Amino acid sequence: MAQFMYVFRGGGYAAPGALSPTELEQHLAKWNAWTKALMDAGRLAAAQPLEHPPTGKTVRGRARAVTDGPYAESKDLVSGTLIVVAGSLAEAAEWARDCPILEQDGSVEVRPVLDLPAMPPRIELPKG
Amino acid sequence: MREADAGGWVEDLFRRESAHLVAALVRLLGPSHLTLAEDMVQEALLSAMQAFRFGRPEDPKAWILRVASNRALDALRKQRRQQALRHRLEPEWTLEGAVELALSPAADAQNQLAMMFAICDGSLSSETHVTLILRLLCGFSSSEIARAFLVDVGTIDRRLHRGRARLQALGELGAPAAAELRARQGSVEQALYLLFNEGYHGSDPDSPLQPAMCADALRLGALLLRASEVEQRRVHALLALFCFNAARLATRLDQAGVVVPLEQQDRTRWDRSLLEAGIEHLGASAGGAALTKLHLEAGIAFEHTRAASVASTDWAQIVDYYDALLAREPSPIVALNRALALAELRGLEAGRAALAALSGDARLHEYSFFWAGRADVERRAGRAAEARAFYRRASELAKSRAERAGYERRLNELEPHASAADALSRRKT
Repeated sequence: MAQFMYVFRGGGYAAPGALSPTELEQHLAKWNAWTKALMDAGRLAAAQPLEHPPTGKTVRGRARAVTDGPYAESKDLVSGTLIVVAGSLAEAAEWARDCPILEQDGSVEVRPVLDLPAMPPRIELPKG
Repeated sequence: MREADAGGWVEDLFRRESAHLVAALVRLLGPSHLTLAEDMVQEALLSAMQAFRFGRPEDPKAWILRVASNRALDALRKQRRQQALRHRLEPEWTLEGAVELALSPAADAQNQLAMMFAICDGSLSSETHVTLILRLLCGFSSSEIARAFLVDVGTIDRRLHRGRARLQALGELGAPAAAELRARQGSVEQALYLLFNEGYHGSDPDSPLQPAMCADALRLGALLLRASEVEQRRVHALLALFCFNAARLATRLDQAGVVVPLEQQDRTRWDRSLLEAGIEHLGASAGGAALTKLHLEAGIAFEHTRAASVASTDWAQIVDYYDALLAREPSPIVALNRALALAELRGLEAGRAALAALSGDARLHEYSFFWAGRADVERRAGRAAEARAFYRRASELAKSRAERAGYERRLNELEPHASAADALSRRKT
C-alpha cells in the first residue's frame, strides 16, 4: 500500500448562482458520501479543504515578490487536497473517478506521494 | 415537516439559511443592497459547501452564520468608509453588535415578516409576490421556480427583476406599520395560498408534490400570527386549510409515484399532529364577524379529514360550504367540486347532471380534473365506454406524469371488462 495525493481543481463553484442552495446541499451530500466510502474502506489518510473564496498569497521569483491571492483561473484553482491509501496509482485513480467534483467540471490530479526514510518530523498543531 | 437530524444537520439547511440570511442582511444593509445581500448569502453557502466536503462541522449553522457575518461586516466597513450607509447604523452601536443582532435567530421572525410584507406591494402582481417569496424567503433559484410553475426561466427572472426594483426603492425594511399590515394582509395570504397550492399540486411534470413549498407556506403563515395588527382569525383559517391538506400529503402519491384518489388514500397515514394543529387553528379562526372564503375552504378540508371514509363524510355540510363559496364568488372550479360533492350526497345521477351542466365552460374544458371527475362518476355508474373516453381526455390534459399514471391505471382497470364485453359482442355476431 502506498499514499497518493488528490489535488482538487475547479469545480464550477465560482460562478455565483450557478447552484441553488438545495443543489449545493445535494452536491455536498455527494462529497460526504464519497469521502465516507473512502473512510469506510480504510483509504482516507488525510484531507485538507482550502478556504473559499480563495485567499492567500503567492511568493514568486528571485525578488521574493509577495502578491495577494492565487492567480489561477477558477478552473485551475486548487480547492483542496486529500491523501488516499491505495495499492497502485491505477487503483488510486479508480477511486477518484467517483469524485463529485467531476460533475461540476472540476478535476482530480492523482499523484504518488514519495515515501522517503528521512522525512522531517510532523508538527502537531496546538488545539483550539 | 421533515426534521431529520444526525450530527447537527437539518435537512434543507442551506435553503433555510438562505431565507434567514437574505432577510437579515437586507434589513441590516438596507433594501437598496438587496442584490449584494443575495450574493453574500450565495457566497457563504458556497464557502460552506467547499469547507464541509470532507466532513461537516459540529454546528454547521453557526459556521455559515459566522461566514455571512464576516462578509456583512466587511461590506459595512467598506461602505461606511464611502459614507453610503451614513444613516444606517446608530452611532453608539458597534458594527459587530449590529450585525450580530440582525443575524440572530431571535430577529429572524421579524426580519422575514418585514420582508414578506415589503414583497406583497400592491403595484406588483400576485405571481410576482409568490416568485419573490420563493426566491428571497424560501431560497429557491430562478430555475427551480421556473420548473415549479412550468414557465421559462426568463419569465421568472423578469418577475424577479421587477420585484427587486420595487424593493430596492424602499428606504428601509422596517417592521411593517399597522396600516400596511392590514392593507397587505390579503395579498400576503393570497401569495402564501398560491405557494401552498404549488407544493400541493404543482405544475412540475416530474414531481407534482413539493412538500418543501407546503412546509414553507405553513412556516411563513405562522409568522403572520406574530403581527398582532393583522386579522388573526383569517390567518388561522388559512393555516387550518394548510394543515388539513398538508396532513394528507404523504398519501397523495403511492410508492410508484402515481396519484392516489381520496377514496383510496390510507387515512391512518394522515399526519395526526398536523390534523390536530389544523383543528386548533380552525377553532381559533371562528367567532369573527366575517366568514371568509378561507374559512369555508378550511371547513371543507376539515370535513374531509375528520371523516373515517368517503362514505361517512358529511357531504351535506360540504355542499353547503361550496354553495356559500359560489354565492360569494362564482368559480368554475368550485362549481366542479360542488357537483362532485353532490354526486356523493344525492347520488350519481344528480352529480352527473350537475357535471353535464358545467360542460359548456371553456376553462373546465381544458381542466383535467373536470374530465377525471366526470369519468369517475360514469365508471361508478357502470358506463365503462363513457368513463374510458373521459379518462383519456383527462390523461391528455394531465399536468404531471403522476396524475396521468393515475388515469391510465383507471383505464387499465376498465379494460378487462371492456375486452370481455367486446369478446361477448363479437361472439354474438
